[in-house]
Amino acid sequence: MKKITLLKAFIYIALTVLVIICFVPFYMMIVNATRSNSEILQGFTLIPGSAILDNYQTLISYMDVWRGFTNSLIVAVSVTVLNAYFSALTAFALVVYEFKWKNIIFVSFLVMMMVPGQLGLLGLYDLSEALGMLDSYWPLIIPAIAAPFTVFFFRQYLITTMHTSILEAGRIDGATELHMFHRIVLPLLMPAIATMGIFTFIGSWNNYITPLVILRSPELFTLPVMMGALRGSPVAMNLGAMYLGIAISVVPIMIAFLFLSRYIISSITAGAIKG
Amino acid sequence: MEKTNRRAYLFIAPFVIVFLVFNIYPILLTFYYSLTNYSGMGGIANAEFVGFGNYIRLVTDSYFFEAFGNTLKIWGFNFVVQMMIALGLALLFSDIRLKLKGVGLFRALFYLPNIITIASVALLFNILLDWNHGALNQMLLSLGIIDSPINWLNSPVYAQSAVALIGAWMWFGNSFIILLAGISGISRDYYEAAYIDGASWWQSFTNITLPQLKPILLYVLITSIIGGLQLFDLPMLLTDTRGAPQGSLNTMVLYLYNQAFKYNNFGYGATLAYGLFIITVIFSAVTFRTMYRKEVK
Amino acid sequence: MKKLVFLLAITSVFLVLTACSEEKADLVVTSFTDELQGPIDKFEELHDVKVDLQIIPTENYTTTLRPALESGKGAPDVFTGEIVYLKDWLEQDYWENLSADPYNVDSWEDDYMEYVWDLGKDPEDNVRAVSWQTTPGGIYYRRSIAKEVLGTDDPAEVGEMFSTMEGLMEVGEKMKEKNYRLFPDEGSIQPYTNGQDPQPWVNEANELVMTEARLSYFDYAKELRDKQYTALAPAWSPAWYESFVGPISYNVGWDELDDSAEAEDKTEVFAVSLPTWALNSVLKVEAQETAGDWAVTNGPTPYFQGGTWIGMYKDSENKDLAWEFIQMLVHDEEFLTEWVTETTGDVLSYIPVTSKISEGYEEEYLGGQNHYEFFLEEANKIDASTITKYDQQIGDLFGTEVGNYVEGTVTKEEALEEFYNQVKNAFPDITIPE
Repeated sequence: MKKITLLKAFIYIALTVLVIICFVPFYMMIVNATRSNSEILQGFTLIPGSAILDNYQTLISYMDVWRGFTNSLIVAVSVTVLNAYFSALTAFALVVYEFKWKNIIFVSFLVMMMVPGQLGLLGLYDLSEALGMLDSYWPLIIPAIAAPFTVFFFRQYLITTMHTSILEAGRIDGATELHMFHRIVLPLLMPAIATMGIFTFIGSWNNYITPLVILRSPELFTLPVMMGALRGSPVAMNLGAMYLGIAISVVPIMIAFLFLSRYIISSITAGAIKG
Repeated sequence: MEKTNRRAYLFIAPFVIVFLVFNIYPILLTFYYSLTNYSGMGGIANAEFVGFGNYIRLVTDSYFFEAFGNTLKIWGFNFVVQMMIALGLALLFSDIRLKLKGVGLFRALFYLPNIITIASVALLFNILLDWNHGALNQMLLSLGIIDSPINWLNSPVYAQSAVALIGAWMWFGNSFIILLAGISGISRDYYEAAYIDGASWWQSFTNITLPQLKPILLYVLITSIIGGLQLFDLPMLLTDTRGAPQGSLNTMVLYLYNQAFKYNNFGYGATLAYGLFIITVIFSAVTFRTMYRKEVK
Repeated sequence: MKKLVFLLAITSVFLVLTACSEEKADLVVTSFTDELQGPIDKFEELHDVKVDLQIIPTENYTTTLRPALESGKGAPDVFTGEIVYLKDWLEQDYWENLSADPYNVDSWEDDYMEYVWDLGKDPEDNVRAVSWQTTPGGIYYRRSIAKEVLGTDDPAEVGEMFSTMEGLMEVGEKMKEKNYRLFPDEGSIQPYTNGQDPQPWVNEANELVMTEARLSYFDYAKELRDKQYTALAPAWSPAWYESFVGPISYNVGWDELDDSAEAEDKTEVFAVSLPTWALNSVLKVEAQETAGDWAVTNGPTPYFQGGTWIGMYKDSENKDLAWEFIQMLVHDEEFLTEWVTETTGDVLSYIPVTSKISEGYEEEYLGGQNHYEFFLEEANKIDASTITKYDQQIGDLFGTEVGNYVEGTVTKEEALEEFYNQVKNAFPDITIPE
């Protein structure tokens, strides 16, 4: 028994070290965000400095990081909502109705799930140009309506959880099909929507290459594109401001995560086990 | 199930239209570009049709294969490190004799690096790893771990390792959570039976845990391969955008991006996209087959 | 929960829509810096119009603006182009032909710095873009260090020492003896790699041109590093800026270089190669502490770096106003005099104004030196005919390989071979030597 206690103590120490390794980069970032450029060049310390306001001025005079934050949020939320709604609608139709081409559509999903996003990137770029949608969020948002993987996941979920008898009952009561979709199917799908929603949200939030190619006006830049632009900008001559810019892009998400972590992690688990 | 219902068409219409316009059409257009020498300027109408010339160039392009090799090396190292940590943690936390506490807290802490924008992570490490004035060297020097600063991003081996380890740092939490869920789902009866039969810890690990975990491992492996082959943000933002040092961070997607948008070889960039697609399909298929063939034996 | 999601969706769609429908301006100007904001304010006041300035960060400028210019959708009325991609854009039909009616700018030609004017011409010799500035470069150095080590801080005498590569190396040695470093990094000699007889990177037969002078850059860069004449502070890095105000830390891995060398923690940098605009946008901003202690002189060869050209989009619907704006920016004596003397300090390419300003001028930051005179002289020596559209990308690839050689990771032959392969790969149409 004593051996186990000793072993456990050792394991906890090892885990703590791992946690520290996980957080060292963030800590360095936060400390350096409060120090001036010349302080940073002189060496590293664990004690925060006092230059955070100067750094903030330098950063904000060139780039509105908060704006990038809002932009990313707008895009990611729109993508997540459209993705969930239309995927559910499509999955609903696939499960409930019988129609021509149904199998072809389903097979083409499976093929498309293998296609890397970059394959269509160059085409998407030219398509957006032809539709006059370059430098807008449409090319980032609209494709979310057609997400084969989400549809596939929802379809599997609906097959196991939905009984057609509920729909029969609804029809007898005179409910329209769309009404039933909103009232019965959507609530039923909610756990699946939450799971896929988190993946979709994180995916959109992190997307760098598509907005990099599509967006042009700085006021539309999403956070990753802003971070990229920061690198070659005048801000880069002040390391403190640079660290602060990165910190602003990171810390709010960390805080939000700590509040929602339990929910998010159970969704990841569900996604892996059922998917 | 219902009979053919016209509403069905209405319900799937948004999906099908967007799918055709924003997924299928760009992919076909990309294919068309890959058959031309389109520069990206002056309109596709002025580009020359070159047949499969770009594809011939692709199979003889040493830079593409170098990029493929780099991508594979970085992914491979990242995956091994990530899985060793993740599997180790999952086994520890699922061990009934140890009864470790704080699973929820550790899961959250380990997962945290995964939700940070990769662009921010890349930029952060870009300045942390700076040779002369980066915080990492400064810290290692002051702790006396190294005598002279290491030029992390200037040697191919260090640079590739750095990218792989950053990747592992970002993803081990995710794999840990999934693997832990998988192990927790294995019935206790198996282990009890093995215990009664006098099986060692290692025997129950190789004979029960690993086989039972196979679908989950396959899921982790496939998603990791597909993501790993598309590695772009980290190398793009970590060095000079062309994959320095000595092209060791030149990944397939970075190469695609530079050809299409920097060197104005849009047509060849499109060909590279198809090269990447074919490689992804082959890898996924091979992984699938090897995982399941073993099961048959 | 459902209501919240719905609300968020509606709000976001609304925000997306509003972002697309801002109040329409009379004129849209796109550039990569905010330096045109001043002139735009002035122009709005003079003409009572609304002008929008879109600033796209340099890193994204071409990738993001080009599609608009290609399709005409969302294209600005007036936009600037940097020397880096100027040639590329002049080959495309993006900018309006200013040599044609009603602009007829050809009659202005004699009033402008020759190389600046020539660079704005398309392959058919029509002027499509003009620039208000000229951007020759020189070597800025610290007077106090020059006096201590070289015995003089006079730009003419120091320039004499800098007039050959061998001379630069000699100064480097003298600097090192007193624990100073000649340059922050090896890139400081890159401007002089074209040598006395400059050749284009790619000639008319589409062949890559390798010259003795370019090959010698490998050796000079290596010499700078190996003899520790540089401070290992790469251009535009924070350490580089820091090197302008005082000693910087210099913790190279000594064992890799020279065991006998004294390990000094700190070192001070003597000089740096920079163009005209760096005086105001780099030195005066980032190195106030050393104001007055600087001077500028020539390097081994004349060169220029950067430069912004401006023109109007060929299908602009506001050509009259666009033309007014461009005229004010490059050809309005009163405006230019005021703009330059009060804000930017640019060296203008428009000779009538520039020669007026340079008369008897004394720059306090440079210890009273008349840098206008110096830079105008340098600008006159520059030949635009060797500039090609490939210069930036090829120069980058070349610099990278020289860097690898300097680091000691590859031999000179390997670096050269790799450079040729990279060029061939990026530009398949170019023939490489051998």
